Amino acid sequence: MMIEPLYINRASPLHRLPAALKLALLVAAGAGLVAVHDARWLGLAAALAALLVWSTGVGAAALWRQLRGLLWVLAAIGVFTVAFQGWQAAPAVLLRIAALVGLALAVTLSTRSSDLIAVCERALRPLQRLGLLDAGKVALALALALRFVPEIWRHYQEIREAQAARGLARHPLALIVPLVVRTLKRAEQVAQAIDARS
Amino acid sequence: MKTRDTVLIALFAALIVVLSLMPPIPLPAIPVPVTLQTLGTMLAGAMLGPLRGGLACLLYLLLAAIGLPVLPGGRGGLGVFFGPTGGFLAGMALGACVTGWLARRAALGARNAGLAVAGYVAACVVGGIVVVYAVGIPWLAVVTQMEWSKAALAVAAFVPGDLVKAVVAAWVAWRVERVWPVLRESP
Repeated sequence: MMIEPLYINRASPLHRLPAALKLALLVAAGAGLVAVHDARWLGLAAALAALLVWSTGVGAAALWRQLRGLLWVLAAIGVFTVAFQGWQAAPAVLLRIAALVGLALAVTLSTRSSDLIAVCERALRPLQRLGLLDAGKVALALALALRFVPEIWRHYQEIREAQAARGLARHPLALIVPLVVRTLKRAEQVAQAIDARS
Repeated sequence: MKTRDTVLIALFAALIVVLSLMPPIPLPAIPVPVTLQTLGTMLAGAMLGPLRGGLACLLYLLLAAIGLPVLPGGRGGLGVFFGPTGGFLAGMALGACVTGWLARRAALGARNAGLAVAGYVAACVVGGIVVVYAVGIPWLAVVTQMEWSKAALAVAAFVPGDLVKAVVAAWVAWRVERVWPVLRESP
């Protein structure tokens, strides 16, 4: 199973903005919205966030997958806020969360993963100069993690089938120990292969 | 940090992704089906130690932050980090570090199997639960403008599931370390 990025390939105005600028604006919005308490302004911010998300061209199914978990959290928060702070407090709290998550989602949908990595790399360059970080190792780790997710998922499927054949399908412990051991063995092989080549 | 350590960190981050994307498991008497995401982060610390375990977790969070759907349910991107539960994600990385530190001390030095498992359980509970909630609850309180005590109440329902996960993670870490020792080496 391949991990498909959430980025949506389109040419919206938001897509054209540089990644670093979008991140900076997002952080600024985060700091700013925490200080706003008027539900009307927060409603405006949430509407703007919804508009930006819509402008990225995200499909309904993909959007629902991203927001489904949040809706449960919002429902729980709504209940707690009403119970402990009264009805008046709830709209501001919920709209602020909706605005922030919406803006963050819009950035994710309109920004390539590779561009975000480039921003991280620039941000971490001072650490590199101090000798605390090796950009090559970070890039290797990132590439390896991405490459091995499908393989480890396949190992999981194989172990699950083998366990089912022995009548142990429901036992999570029976799955996890072999999966971890197999992953560690693979890591050993890969490390040796890399060292042998360099 | 040798090549082997970099590879371990990378593959463990991938393992956390796989565990996060496995279907949630319903447990008796627990209202929400538990995801295996925190099991993965506890394991990272308990098996790789504080530095590699913490970095594996951070790599996992980086994969999510750059827009890959590696969070439970196929979620991803910056939305979760800017939402009410973002603190629990940040707490997982610090927690993995603490779990690793405790596991090295308590579990590796233990005189018998029972004490070793108990050591791992303590490491997973402190790192995987106490630290995670210590970061997650204040963050939740700030985002929702609730008092800390109310925020703590809001997430209390998840603690029993996390306790089960801590015990499972401890047992898995103990079993695996016996056949493929990784924790006892540096870093």
